[in-house]
Amino acid sequence: MSGIGLEPDSDQPSEPADATRRKLLALAGTAVALTLAPGVTVWARDLVARRDREGAPRAKVRYGLLIDARRCHTDCSACVRACEQYNGLRRRPGPDNAQWIRKVTVTDPQTGVTRSFPVMCQHCEHGACVDVCPTGASFRRPDGIVLVDKHRCIGCRYCLMACPYKARSFVARNVRDQKPWAPRGKGTAEGCTLCVERVVAGKLPACVAACQRAGHGAMVFGNLHDPQGALAKRLAAVTTETIRADLGMGPSVHYRGI
Amino acid sequence: MHRRAVFWAVLAVLLSLGAVWASHRGPVPVPVVAQAAGHCVLPVAVMRREHMMLLRRVREAVVRRDVHDGRLRLTRCISCHAQRNAAGVALAVNARGQFCASCHAYVGVRPDCFACHAARPEGVGPGGFGGTVPGPLPVAAAAVMPHAQTAAGLSEGGP
Repeated sequence: MSGIGLEPDSDQPSEPADATRRKLLALAGTAVALTLAPGVTVWARDLVARRDREGAPRAKVRYGLLIDARRCHTDCSACVRACEQYNGLRRRPGPDNAQWIRKVTVTDPQTGVTRSFPVMCQHCEHGACVDVCPTGASFRRPDGIVLVDKHRCIGCRYCLMACPYKARSFVARNVRDQKPWAPRGKGTAEGCTLCVERVVAGKLPACVAACQRAGHGAMVFGNLHDPQGALAKRLAAVTTETIRADLGMGPSVHYRGI
Repeated sequence: MHRRAVFWAVLAVLLSLGAVWASHRGPVPVPVVAQAAGHCVLPVAVMRREHMMLLRRVREAVVRRDVHDGRLRLTRCISCHAQRNAAGVALAVNARGQFCASCHAYVGVRPDCFACHAARPEGVGPGGFGGTVPGPLPVAAAAVMPHAQTAAGLSEGGP
């Protein structure tokens, strides 16, 4: 491959101009791919995940959720309250209202059937927020959790625009009395962290714990890539779907009965 | 006319010099930094010189790679260094005269950590978030931080 570029020009003139151009373009493409691949870790991880679709070895851990909309009560918002309380978000209607998780109620106009369920960051395998972020602040951890590195965030809000789930919000004013485990400040994008510090410590995310406490058990948290885990077993047993699966972003949050 | 102007000019200069002299209060006093109980995870001299580099290094490791020693965390620094008032309520480390603010006001550097991070500990246990601080970092841990090593070498003569 490296020899192509070193070939003397005298070999080329006999070929039609079109073929030469095609060859050159192909070579340029190869060069870009080779140059980019070793330096950028996040992309390297992404490539691993992409191979996963084709059946190659995949990451050992990918945290995810299964939300059973049939068990979720229309008038219950325990998960939303728990998230606000645990992460120190203040309920303040208007542009300052951070929505890391929200309840969505949908009705089928034809049949009239109504379902209510929480929607939060779907921790996509190929999230649009990660794609569009100009600074690399939006990133996906090796365990599948998508976060904003606020040290790098410049507050451009591309991720807010790009996310089809409206999972990101923007902090527009100074914040006081943050929780030590949930730093948030003016000029940065934010979203559900899947309670990453709880998860790392072996606990459930605050919303899932609250749903269990409320007695609904509509949310199951676990490792999608552990075939023996409760989540993977459940996903293998019942029919589930992801929201806007047509976008091909590979959400980690699965829904049942929506 | 010309001499009059010179007279007023000289008078103005003298008066302003006098005003400067009258308002001069000597050098800015070196702040008294509140002492935390126990020992720091690294020698004080190292911390004074290198804490910003260490925090920057640790934040990358913690946020993006989730690999960290567990001892060098901003939350742990705050847990130890936050003073408590008479009622036992933790004070913000960036409040006037408190641990971070006292030094930073003296050197005229404004840290932006607390635009996002909580400046006071919260949570279970006397150590606040993350519990109590274990012993000092072993030499091997300091070896992965070239800045820390340099600082230790430089500060052998004293703080």
